[in-house]
Amino acid sequence: MAQRTYNILFNLHTVSGIVISVALYVIFFAGSFSFFRDEIVNWERNEGVISKKEIPLNLDSVIDSLSGNYQLYGRDISITKYYEERRVNVSLSASKDSLATDEAKVSQFFYLDPLTYNTYTYINSYSLGEFLYRLHFFAQIYYPIGYYLSGFVAFFFLFAIITGVLVHWKKIVSNFYIFRPWSKLKTIWTDAHTALGMIGLPFQFVYAVTGAFFMLKLLIVAPSVFAIYGGDQAKLYEDLEYADPTFPFENNKEDSVISLNGFIDQTKATWENFNVSEVKIYNFGDANMHVAINGELDKKTKFTAPGKVVYKAYTGEVISKKDPVAQSSYLDGVKNVMFRLHYGDYGGYALKVISFILGIISCFVIISGVMIWLVARDKKNIPEKKRIFYNRVARIYLAICLSMYPITALSFIAVKIAQPAGLEFIYWFYFLGWLLLTTFFILKMDNYFTNKSCLLLGSIFGFLIPLVNGFTTGNWMWKSFAAGQDQILFIDVFWLITASITLFASFKLKKKEAAN
Amino acid sequence: MPANRKYLTQSAWQRFAKISAGILGGFIVATAFHLALASCFSHVAVLITSTFSSFILWAVLLIVAFLAKNGWRIWLIYLIVTLLLATIIYYGNIFNTIES
Repeated sequence: MAQRTYNILFNLHTVSGIVISVALYVIFFAGSFSFFRDEIVNWERNEGVISKKEIPLNLDSVIDSLSGNYQLYGRDISITKYYEERRVNVSLSASKDSLATDEAKVSQFFYLDPLTYNTYTYINSYSLGEFLYRLHFFAQIYYPIGYYLSGFVAFFFLFAIITGVLVHWKKIVSNFYIFRPWSKLKTIWTDAHTALGMIGLPFQFVYAVTGAFFMLKLLIVAPSVFAIYGGDQAKLYEDLEYADPTFPFENNKEDSVISLNGFIDQTKATWENFNVSEVKIYNFGDANMHVAINGELDKKTKFTAPGKVVYKAYTGEVISKKDPVAQSSYLDGVKNVMFRLHYGDYGGYALKVISFILGIISCFVIISGVMIWLVARDKKNIPEKKRIFYNRVARIYLAICLSMYPITALSFIAVKIAQPAGLEFIYWFYFLGWLLLTTFFILKMDNYFTNKSCLLLGSIFGFLIPLVNGFTTGNWMWKSFAAGQDQILFIDVFWLITASITLFASFKLKKKEAAN
Repeated sequence: MPANRKYLTQSAWQRFAKISAGILGGFIVATAFHLALASCFSHVAVLITSTFSSFILWAVLLIVAFLAKNGWRIWLIYLIVTLLLATIIYYGNIFNTIES
């Protein structure tokens, strides 16, 4: 590679990396915990899931309980299971009956516990798991700024990955085996950055591309609508099979109440290992009422297997059918793969744990990148003023990034003590705590101290998490183990192991003077 | 060892041209490329492919813009390519109308 090309690429990698570093660290750190979003939520509520894969409900009794609180006639009702939680999402559209009361003309969204039939709003169903999940795409920043910010961070991360690989290209094989931990600081950071960067490369590439797509999809959709579809957005969504069917409301109320459980049973009987994840009812109680049963085959049977049957409710006639067993289309394949690769939810705990480790490795790659940037500039021949500036930047970056570990661990304790925590509490606790820790470490002006105390504090809080859970709920590890509540058990064990590793690391940390 | 400054763009205008050509021009070319393919071939397959290939192509074009000697010339090249692709999209749409 020509000297000019190399230096330009090197500069692009440095500049794009340093600009996105903190944001990217937050995304990777919060994102790594998001692999366990559902586990965290269930642990926090001390609820076991009934079924991980499908809506665990008796639809008829749910409808029965809903009709006690809402007038359902003329509404579209959808009951969806997005997460491996006990609660399911319920959404009611406004009634299409022109004679409906004002109350029935308002749409509703809430969560429903299929065991107790209690309902929860979004706000009082908010949890630490949801918070960390949303933090990883900056949803707490005013919509849609946070989404686009995280989307562009993902895109420039892709840019940094490609330039990084090009810069490193010549030494990609030879340097992979080089690790010189007893050498000078700069060498350690460089070795760690390149070796771990290479190990995480496929993982990071996938997350950069899919992440950019999730947050910036409008940049793809909008030009297509105008250039190919002549402005007809509905047609695009129909072609991409995102469109929801519509059934006209006939305004002809049926007197008899019909059982909907039969439709679920019938669908499940059609295909072996079919899990129902969504039930949608159109025009409830109307002569033109339809029921759509959505779901997919178990991941162990087939990777991409979305299926759907739409029934006309009062005649039982099958209106349309999407067969999950038949060969899946390219369209379904891409749509499924983009999400599965990003969520890492198709291989059980093994895959989630590996993804978590790779996510944390990416965090380390980011930090080591910042450290290379600093060490390369902390030299005698660089003006004092600039060196102070570089040092300050690195100090602030490290303080923000590293203090995420203790405050995340502490939040696990806080939500257990202040149960149920709710949105406002989690926001205040996490962000204020994070700010205080960061400010303290910035003022302390010692990167070694920041690193050591963050690891130490995080470990102490981490060890306390299973204890606090045991004391507040009585659901100690051996109890959740015996009860087979693997999601609750997982979080306790996860913290024990994580805290042990970081505690070990914090003891191993030795102050090392930067020798140039 | 920060990058050697003598190889980097010094002029502010040149830098502006390269950054804008890479981010904006790169995006336009990447998008137009996929739309041109979509207008000629199976549009559903191309559009769903573009959900990932667009971003990769865009990132590559962003790098290419920075490697150019002259930022304004790369803008010109990107614009000419876009124009060519736009012509393909125009005729592609005429010959392959989407039935609704």
